[in-house]
Amino acid sequence: MGELPEAGRGEPEGEAVILGVDVGGTFTDAVLATGGRIFTGKAPSTPSDQSEGVIAAIETVLERAGVGPEEVTHFAHGMTVATNALLESKGARTALIATRGFTDLVEIGRQSRASLYRLRAAHPPPLVPPELRIGVAERCGPDVVLEELSEAEVERVTEEVAALDVESVAICLLHSYRHPDHERRLGAAIDARFGEAHHVSLSHEVVGTFREYERAATTEIDAALSPLLGSYLDRLRVRGSEAGLPEPMIMQSSGGLTDLDNAAGHAALTVLSGPAGGAAAAMLISRLAEEPDLLCFDMGGTSCDVCVVEDGAVHETGSKRIAGRPLALPMVDIDTVGAGGGSIAWRDSGGALRVGPESAGADPGPACYGRGTRPTVTDANLILGRLEPDAPLAGGIRLDGERARRAIAGLADELGIEPDACAEGIVRVANAEMVRALRVVSVQRGLDPRRFTLLAFGGAGPLHATGIADELGIGRILVPRSGGVFSALGLAAANRRRDTVRSVMLAEADLDRATLADLAGDADEVGWDIRYRGQSFELTVTDPEAGRGTAPEPERLRRLFEDLHRERYGYADPGAEIELVTVRCRRTAPGPGFDAGPASDESHRGPATVDLGEATLHLPPGWSARGYRAGLLLVERG
Amino acid sequence: MRTPGHPESEPGDDRAPRAAPDPVEVQIMAGALASACEEMGAVLIRSSHSANIKERHDCSAAVFDAHGEMVMQAEHIPVHLGSMPASVRAVIDREHRPGVSWFLNDPYAGGTHLPDITVVTPVFAGDRLIGFTANRAHHADVGGRVPGSMPADSRTLDEEGVVIAPRVLDEEAMAEVTGKMRQPEQRRADLRAQLAANRAGVTRIGALADRLGPDGLAAGMADVIAYAEQRTRARIETIPDGTYRAEDVLEGHAGDIPLVLEATVAGDAIRFDFTGSSGPDTGNLNCPRAVTESACYFAVRVLTDPDIPASAGAYRPVEVIVPEGSLLNASPPHAVVAGNVETSSRVADLCLAAFGRALGQGTMNNLTLGNDDFTYYETLGGGQAGGDDGPGPSAVHVAMSNTLNTPIEAMEIEFPLRAVEYSVRRGSGGEGANPGGDGIVREIEATTEMEYALLTERRRHRPPGGEGGGPGLAGLNLLRKDGSETRLEPKDAGRLEAGDRLRIETPGGGGYGHG
Repeated sequence: MGELPEAGRGEPEGEAVILGVDVGGTFTDAVLATGGRIFTGKAPSTPSDQSEGVIAAIETVLERAGVGPEEVTHFAHGMTVATNALLESKGARTALIATRGFTDLVEIGRQSRASLYRLRAAHPPPLVPPELRIGVAERCGPDVVLEELSEAEVERVTEEVAALDVESVAICLLHSYRHPDHERRLGAAIDARFGEAHHVSLSHEVVGTFREYERAATTEIDAALSPLLGSYLDRLRVRGSEAGLPEPMIMQSSGGLTDLDNAAGHAALTVLSGPAGGAAAAMLISRLAEEPDLLCFDMGGTSCDVCVVEDGAVHETGSKRIAGRPLALPMVDIDTVGAGGGSIAWRDSGGALRVGPESAGADPGPACYGRGTRPTVTDANLILGRLEPDAPLAGGIRLDGERARRAIAGLADELGIEPDACAEGIVRVANAEMVRALRVVSVQRGLDPRRFTLLAFGGAGPLHATGIADELGIGRILVPRSGGVFSALGLAAANRRRDTVRSVMLAEADLDRATLADLAGDADEVGWDIRYRGQSFELTVTDPEAGRGTAPEPERLRRLFEDLHRERYGYADPGAEIELVTVRCRRTAPGPGFDAGPASDESHRGPATVDLGEATLHLPPGWSARGYRAGLLLVERG
Repeated sequence: MRTPGHPESEPGDDRAPRAAPDPVEVQIMAGALASACEEMGAVLIRSSHSANIKERHDCSAAVFDAHGEMVMQAEHIPVHLGSMPASVRAVIDREHRPGVSWFLNDPYAGGTHLPDITVVTPVFAGDRLIGFTANRAHHADVGGRVPGSMPADSRTLDEEGVVIAPRVLDEEAMAEVTGKMRQPEQRRADLRAQLAANRAGVTRIGALADRLGPDGLAAGMADVIAYAEQRTRARIETIPDGTYRAEDVLEGHAGDIPLVLEATVAGDAIRFDFTGSSGPDTGNLNCPRAVTESACYFAVRVLTDPDIPASAGAYRPVEVIVPEGSLLNASPPHAVVAGNVETSSRVADLCLAAFGRALGQGTMNNLTLGNDDFTYYETLGGGQAGGDDGPGPSAVHVAMSNTLNTPIEAMEIEFPLRAVEYSVRRGSGGEGANPGGDGIVREIEATTEMEYALLTERRRHRPPGGEGGGPGLAGLNLLRKDGSETRLEPKDAGRLEAGDRLRIETPGGGGYGHG
């Protein structure tokens, strides 16, 4: 892994020229901030090679800003290359090397079926098919090596890899988080034999924690996607350097940036690069607005992403399923629900009004876009007067109110209610879906949503913000004037970050000051995954008072764990022994500071609709909005 | 038609038929209740200590109205589907006070099998009872003759563990009951987690009552129940009227035990009649009525629409007829531990077979290992059946269970066990236009002395295909000791020395359609 640059820490704001580029489904946004001014550029996304759209958007923004490429001091990039490849199960031809007897781990998974009552529903098939899995004679236990890996076996496995004609190799051996030597030797032998021709992912490097299935599946994803991602980033590096730009930093799933080489070698780190950019934007807004606690929802055309920012940092998770596949890596904890502007409203067999998950998407789009006939959330907003009927949309479409009315009236008829009640109901049901998702990310962690400020993003977010705030009992909402700008700015302003995660399995008796200090090393922040002995899930404890390179006393660690356990689950067990399972070290270097410009002096009082350019803010009676710091609108009751 | 035991509506009460529910309000209410159940489940899974609950998610959570009718359930495993209402029914007539919870596991008084302990907590708005939250979790041990409380050869309930008749769950009761179990501290921690989960539900239901008023909440709950009923009836109506039959056997200790089903679809209702099935088993294959009902409800969900909220309404159109005291409607003091895990699978299969479906592995392959120092319980996936909607997935739980496995590394860290093999049993699925899924091979070595108990099915009889598809391979239980191999019975128990291995090959699923 590359070293972290120290640059940025405390750098004078005026001198930084920061450039962020965010690749979305339709458009690629580039934002450049310098000396208190912000410039934007847009280009159509280019799915076959995203770097073309990236460079096109950058050229536009540089021209508008009158800034030369060589003047750019910070360049950061968020992309969807790895995400898309995973969604489409497209990867390099990859072999999996696993402990003999356990090569099917990736296929068995956790042996649960995908759906309780849809019996044929299947999990996505492993990226490595059975014929590309190699069993290796070796075995480590949790404590000792049970069967040594012989040189002859290393040789045999290498030969087998050669015969399979693969581009990439994933190696996952049992208990390698504790005994990495066998994986290392196999990896070195494959490197020596094939050199650059093969990518190699070692499970103890990629993941480093126990629980073999999740580690193996993540390693498999890393191996299968890295060749693809590597060649994309190479193209970007070349195009960027031809254009005179500095090398970009890449947004990781964790919400922190890493250098291009590290990202290219470890595709699993950037599977959520795109959504993490949104989370980085939320953190930036939190910082600029001095609002430490935010509940964020980003509602687009087909779905809505939600996450929590607490104390200025977005919530993270150590493991999550993406497209049905587990990824056991630090990533921003974003939940997605199928509620977007294009979500279709329908009547189910019990006579209830339902919204989504089916979406009208971009084609045919909502009825009011002129092609579709089925009623969507956008149609409901239009006939409720929350969208300006004359507002031209991107692509020059004008909203067709009559068409929307017909679509809604048809559904209202089926439901036996008035069209206005139907439209109102569509919005409420869609809001309820999002509220449920926001509850999942907050209440289930013991957080009370009422103490949060709501941050509404995306093309449809500001339309639904007050409705959702009402449901959650929230009285304060932030809405960016330009969400796309913040997504790209969030990238460029994000921290540089490197995580190392390792399972250590230490009993309480083995936890002394020296051991803890040794584990913490020079990390800026350490997460200690602790559980009561016998529990099989851990809580991640951080010591708010620990500075760089310091570790808490064992007694303090226990106290912090018990406090957290009590907070989350309502009880602690003072008599029970604890164990330290995993240590998560994070090294960070802060991103550049910059001036996002002054507050606008606008103010609005509900009922009103406020045109935000990329979105519309709906203000019902009892709510008002005013210009706030950094190009944000603050929406409050009253 | 109603399942006996469900209370009838009384005139004037809030369950009496009302005007058609508002199509918006009912959806919002259903979402809020589902979210409350999900929250309870999340608290339980995250804060419990048993691997059964945490890693394998062998637990469920539900919300009930003030009359004890289930309004919503988040079930992680289907065997809890219809059996939670019995637990609430078992305490409904007691005197309830805010914050005073009940617990029970008696299969003949609201429970299913002893390891499943259910905690029920009343919800109050002021001094008015407005509902109940309940959750059920499979504890790693509840005492009895063998560690893990899943004896392969029990004959009476008492052998299977501590029987908890419904009683108030306070510190004293907790100490008394868990004192008779192995690892009492872990049991207490799990019970506290169950209490915490119910508290989370109480908070959410209380907040709903604050917002809607107690009457509004009751009306909303009634609407959700009626809504589920209407959707279920609409789907049953699409099944042609008529009588559908199926026969199968359970692989008992002394030989095969016959099971018979006559299913009758009449309009928008369905009746499952098990008359003619075996009398009580002298072993532990007996099902309390609630378990038999659960298996029927599972089949109804598979045959209708899985998207229908799991509530009492979804089961109103379903009538289950089982002669009192028979295998599928057991009475004390019969042993029941395998009824919940194995007989229930066979009942679900019977219902699906009646409608021409191919069948999955039809067993959970229960394995319990332990000695005085530890207890380890696991179930194994196998082949799912092929169907008209595709091939059967491999190496999954197929019917009444859907618990996660315990990771090998977690198992080896915590227990004196070593995995030797864990692989897909290639070629075990039945042939067909849509073939059945393959089973699993799991071989485990003991690293110290311990006892084992196996509760498995489909060792003698292969899971049949449907519509011309071929059967899956039968399962296989092997003991490997000192270089020799012994074939074990479907239900078996014994002792392992260090170095002995158990090898379990789980059945493949039946194929569907001519290949």
